[in-house]
Amino acid sequence: MYRIRLHGRGGQGIKTAGRILGEALFLEKYEVQDAPRYGAERRGAPIFSYVRAGKKPINERGIILHPGLVVVADETLIEIPAAGVFQGIAENTVFFICSNESSDFWRKRLGIDSQIITLSQSEEYDTALDFHYNSSVCVGAAGRLLGVISKESLKQAIEEELSVFEKTVIEKNIEISLKAYDELSSYEGIVKRGVGISADSYRRLNWVEPPFEGADISAPAIYDSGTSELALTGLWRTLRPVVNKELCALCWHLCGSFCPDSAIYLDEDGAPQIDYEHCKGCLICVMQCPRRAISVEAEHKKTKEAKGA
Amino acid sequence: MSKEKIKKMRDIPFERLLASGTAMCAGCGALEALHQIYDILGKNTVFVNAAGCMTLLSVYPFTPFRGSWLYTSMASAPAAAQGIRDALDILIEKKRIKPKDNMQVVVLAGDGSSYGMGLSAASAAIERNLDFIYICYDNEGYGNTGQQYSDATPHAARTSTSKSLTGFQYYKKDIFAIWAAHKPAYAATIIGSDPLDLAKKVEKAKNMKGAKLILALSPCPTGWTFHSNETVKIGKLAVETGIWPLKEYADGKIVHTKIPRERKPVEEYLKIQGRFKHLFEPQRNDKLIAEIQNEVDKYWGHYNH
Ligand SMILES: Cc1ncc(C[n+]2csc(CCOP(=O)(O)OP(=O)(O)O)c2C)c(N)n1
Ligand code: SF4
Ligand SMILES: [Mg+2]
Repeated sequence: MYRIRLHGRGGQGIKTAGRILGEALFLEKYEVQDAPRYGAERRGAPIFSYVRAGKKPINERGIILHPGLVVVADETLIEIPAAGVFQGIAENTVFFICSNESSDFWRKRLGIDSQIITLSQSEEYDTALDFHYNSSVCVGAAGRLLGVISKESLKQAIEEELSVFEKTVIEKNIEISLKAYDELSSYEGIVKRGVGISADSYRRLNWVEPPFEGADISAPAIYDSGTSELALTGLWRTLRPVVNKELCALCWHLCGSFCPDSAIYLDEDGAPQIDYEHCKGCLICVMQCPRRAISVEAEHKKTKEAKGA
Repeated sequence: MSKEKIKKMRDIPFERLLASGTAMCAGCGALEALHQIYDILGKNTVFVNAAGCMTLLSVYPFTPFRGSWLYTSMASAPAAAQGIRDALDILIEKKRIKPKDNMQVVVLAGDGSSYGMGLSAASAAIERNLDFIYICYDNEGYGNTGQQYSDATPHAARTSTSKSLTGFQYYKKDIFAIWAAHKPAYAATIIGSDPLDLAKKVEKAKNMKGAKLILALSPCPTGWTFHSNETVKIGKLAVETGIWPLKEYADGKIVHTKIPRERKPVEEYLKIQGRFKHLFEPQRNDKLIAEIQNEVDKYWGHYNH
């Protein structure tokens, strides 16, 4: 059975990518299961979807713990443990990362020996800015790496799953998918089928049975205030706003009023500062600052600089 | 003598009371308005939140609030607000809490709830002159479940349940007029892209007794399909085109707090949102665009300022 997990961010089309891949495998006469897992269920937040495909009825359920192929649509997720990109990977797990960096770069960075495939050979993708199409790149790439999906099935699956969109959108997605499919021809069929897991090997989970308590303890009441700050939504960001204090007119809190996430605070000079732990990267501040004192930087460049890569 | 202190931007408190780290989408217009509102209402606020996107603000063990918050079903937030108000009044009367620890009871509900399922409970609460503030964040659809149409969806908008080439076939319900017809203490429309107008109105509502509506148009990047950095731009255009009139009701009178001097064509608001894209591509639908413009012109012609 093929077990594929696709990782991305809300809004990047990861759920749809899973469906397209599932549909394409179905057209190739596989039994298929595909489903998304949402997490925060919000644009920008990490999500994944998974696809199982086999020639026999699939009895396995739930999320994929031992993937044969892991597809990463957004390389910034690799930094984020909560995204679970590495969950359950084994030696023979193949990675496809939608990134212009080389396989070697990622192998060194991650310290793993797995087969990692990227788009380093191709010139045209700007994976940070053109991320709307990352999921289509992933679909094409995954199709080729599995080696059991024909171009025709891939095309038909995209047409079916995107049928609510306009023709131009569908065509653009097909074009991008097939381009990735073509470029990875030398890796055709590199993903191996995983063995079926028999029910006998199932180990009961170690559930903890909590004691029965009164409502004052067992009801989900929160007695502290502002605890949401423990959730680091800064991890949703792919682009970051940067304040240039020199240009800032200290108009006080226009950017801070507009920031939906209370992620702009004032320093001792009364100048705005961005709380990068929580800024989700909506970039309203960049658009609204009358002095254009806030600019944009790509997040993945930033993290690479920090790591000296 | 007026109790209102906010006259200009610099008078607005900047407390960032609503903590960061919530699960709302990047660029959420509802959250933008809510954090501005909360800074003015202050800590002594108890939120009664009808099911919708905003109920994901507080997911155990996380909360962005500094005080109490209660989750209710979509239709019953005003009824729950009544219960809390009564409980607080009784506790104060029995001297179990001090009057200075009294709290403002605030309903927080989406349009699906406010214009539809919860309208009857709201109507009854206004009728009983319940002392509360009702915040409706209006993202013109059932945002949390994938933007199905609601009674607040504007004519011709595409939603996940109105996908034809002409979009939503009915018209946005005038909830402000429905509230005003109840003769509440106060009702106002606001928008997060105009923090000063918002602050003045919320401050007014805070200082009044009785039922008060704060109705916030809430540009929603996810449901309306636009880039998260355009939330404020779209909010401003909603006001400048006259689509979202900023107004208030008090003492039986409706007053517009901001009258766009030269209204921009509605097209400027429509064409930058994916939910209206079918009005422009692949073919321009002049008839529908004119119809939307006409509705807006009719509204303002009626007030004829
Ligand atoms: C009676 C009932 N029907 C359906 C639902 C499922 N539901 C949860 S949130 C939601 C959408 C609410 O829309 P709105 O009030 O506009 O708030 P928004 O999601 O847009 O913030 C729905 C339909 C529910 N909670 N209760
Ligand atoms: S769907 Fe819309 S209203 Fe709901 S959290 Fe996202 S942006 Fe806000
Ligand atoms: Mg809504």
